[in-house]
Amino acid sequence: MISDIPLNVILMQLFFGLALGSIFVIMASGLSIIYGLLDVVNFAHGAFAMLGAYVVFCAVSLSGNFAVGIVSAIVIVALIGALVEVVLLKPLYGKDPLLPLLLTFGLAVAIPDVIKIAFGLIGKAVAYPAAFSGATKVGPLILSNYRMFIIVFTLAVLISLWIFLKKSDLGMIIRAATQDSLMVQVLGINTSRIWTIGFALGVGLAALAGAIAVPMMSATPDMGVEMTMGAFVVTVVGGLGSLGGAIVGGLLIGVIVAFTALVAGEYSNVAMYFCMAVILLIRPRGLFGESGRE
Amino acid sequence: MKQATDKKAMLTDVEPKPRATIVWGTALVLVALPFVISVPLSTEILIWTIFGLGFNLLLGYTGVLSFGHAAYFGLGAYSAGLAIKYWQVDILTGIAVGVVASMLLACFIGALAIRRRGVYFAMISLAFGQMLYFTALSPLKEITRGEDGLTHIMATVNLFSVSLDKPKHLYYFVLAITVVMLYLTWRILQSPFGKMLQAFRENEERAKACGYNTTLVKFFSLVLSGLYGGLAGALNTLYLGYVPLTSLFWLTSGTIVMMTVLGGRGTFLGPLVGVAVFLFLQNTISLFTPRWELFVGAIFVVIILIFPGGIMGTLREKYLSRKMVKLQNKAADFQ
Repeated sequence: MISDIPLNVILMQLFFGLALGSIFVIMASGLSIIYGLLDVVNFAHGAFAMLGAYVVFCAVSLSGNFAVGIVSAIVIVALIGALVEVVLLKPLYGKDPLLPLLLTFGLAVAIPDVIKIAFGLIGKAVAYPAAFSGATKVGPLILSNYRMFIIVFTLAVLISLWIFLKKSDLGMIIRAATQDSLMVQVLGINTSRIWTIGFALGVGLAALAGAIAVPMMSATPDMGVEMTMGAFVVTVVGGLGSLGGAIVGGLLIGVIVAFTALVAGEYSNVAMYFCMAVILLIRPRGLFGESGRE
Repeated sequence: MKQATDKKAMLTDVEPKPRATIVWGTALVLVALPFVISVPLSTEILIWTIFGLGFNLLLGYTGVLSFGHAAYFGLGAYSAGLAIKYWQVDILTGIAVGVVASMLLACFIGALAIRRRGVYFAMISLAFGQMLYFTALSPLKEITRGEDGLTHIMATVNLFSVSLDKPKHLYYFVLAITVVMLYLTWRILQSPFGKMLQAFRENEERAKACGYNTTLVKFFSLVLSGLYGGLAGALNTLYLGYVPLTSLFWLTSGTIVMMTVLGGRGTFLGPLVGVAVFLFLQNTISLFTPRWELFVGAIFVVIILIFPGGIMGTLREKYLSRKMVKLQNKAADFQ
C-alpha cells in the first residue's frame, strides 16, 4: 500500500508529522517538568494550552503582531499557573497524592466553560504571521513556511530550555529539587517557591504549544482535551519525567499520526493510542523511562 | 508515639462495620424514590449508582484511579444495543453481552496497564477511553452510526413477555438489579478479597511483603469494576432506547470520578449519595445556564480543597471523632 505512494508525498507527510510532533514535544516537556518537580500529572495541561491559544487570538487582534501574541500567551498563562499553584495546589501537598490530580481534572472541566462564556462556542482563527505565510519549494517538495518555522522554533525552545536547566542557577536548583526536594530545602532554598516557578514554567510551555498551534487549527474551547491526550500518549511512550523521552516520543507520535492520515484517514485519531498500547506491551516503562519510575 | 498507636487502634475499634441492614434500608428508600422525584431522574440515579459502586470498588477501596471508565460504560451500552438491534436477542441476553464485553475490555486494559503506578494508570486508562471513543466515531461508523449514536434499537422492552415500556416498570426492573449489586458489593467488601483490597490501598508495600500478589488482586478489582460499568451501560441503553456517542466520551469518565469523590470514595453509600447530589445539581444548574460544567467543575475543586473525603467521608469522620471523645471521657471517668 505504502509503496504505491510517491517518495515526495512520503517526505511531505514526514515533514507534516515533524511539525505536529513539535507541538506534542513542547506540551509533553511541560508536563514532564511539572511531574518531575511536583509529582502532579497536570490533567489541565491542555486547558492551559487552550488559554494560550485564546491569548494569542486576543493579542493578535489588538496588536496585529504574532510575536507579541506568543510572548503574552506564555507570560499571562504562566502567571495564571503560578496563581493556581499557590492558591489551589499548595494546600494539597503532603496529603493523599490523588488529590492534586483530581483538582487539575476539575480545572480541565471548568476552564473551557469560562472560555465558552467569554468567546462563544465557535472557534477563533488566527492568520499565519506575514513573515511565515506561503510555502517554499525545496527540491521536489513544497514546504509550508509556517510549519518550517514551528520545527525550527521548537528546536530553539528546546535548546534554550536545556541551557536553562543545565547552566543557570535556577535550572540547577530545579533539577536538584526534582531529584530530592528535601535535601534542597535543607540547603536553605525555598523549595515552595521553586515549585511555583516549576508549575508556571510547565504551563507556560503548554501555552506556547497552544499559541504556535493556533494558526494551523484555530482556537476552540474544547481543543484542550485532545492536546492533553496527545501529551499523555507522548509521555507514556517516551517515559514520564524524561525530557529526552518527551522529544523522541513527541516526534514519533507526530509522524505516526501524519502517516496514518495519509494511508487510512479515518484511523488517524486512533493511531496514537494504538501505538501507545504497542509500546506498553513491548516496553512497559516507555522508551526512555527509568526502571524505578514505572 | 505510643499514644498515637493507641488512638489508631481505638479508631479501628469504633469504626462502624457496615451491616446488611444498610443494603435493605437503602433498598427500601429506593422503592419510594419515584414517588418523591420524577421517574426518569430516579432511573438515572440507579443506573449511575451501579456504575459508581463499581468505580468506588476500584478507586475507594483498591486505591486505583481510572480516568477511562467511560470505556466500560460505553462498550456495555453499545454491545447490548448492537446485540438487541441486529441479533434480536431478549433484553437479559443483551445485558449479558454488554457485561461480558466490558469485562473482556477490562481484562485487556488490566493486563496492559494495571502493574503501573497510579498516575500512569490514570493517564493510560484515559487514553484507552479516548481510543474507543474515536473508534466508534469514525472507523466503525457503519456499525455504531458514528456521531448520531445507535438509534432504533428496539420497538418495545419486554421481559418474559411482560412489557417494561412504562417508565415505572422499567424503574423497578433496574431497582431489582441495583439491589442485587448493592448486596454483591457489600458481600465483596466483607469477603477476604475485599479485606485484601483495602489492605493494599492502605499499604501496598506491606501487603506485598506479606506475600500477597497485589497485581493480581488489583487486576480482579478492575475486572469487577468493568462488570459494573458494562451493566450500567447496558441498562442505560434500555432506559434511553438508544446509545449516544457521548457514553464513550471522556466527560462520562470524568462524571463518574466526580460523582464518586463528591459522595465519598471508600464509603459504602458514597456512590449513591454522590450520584444523587451530582444529578440534582446538574439538573438544577441546567435550568439557568447551559454552562453547568463550569459550576460542577468549580464545586468539585472546592470539595477537593475543603472536604476531600466527600459527603459521606466527612460525615463518617465527624461521627468517629465524636465517638472517640465519648470513649476518652469514659476512660477518664474509669480512672
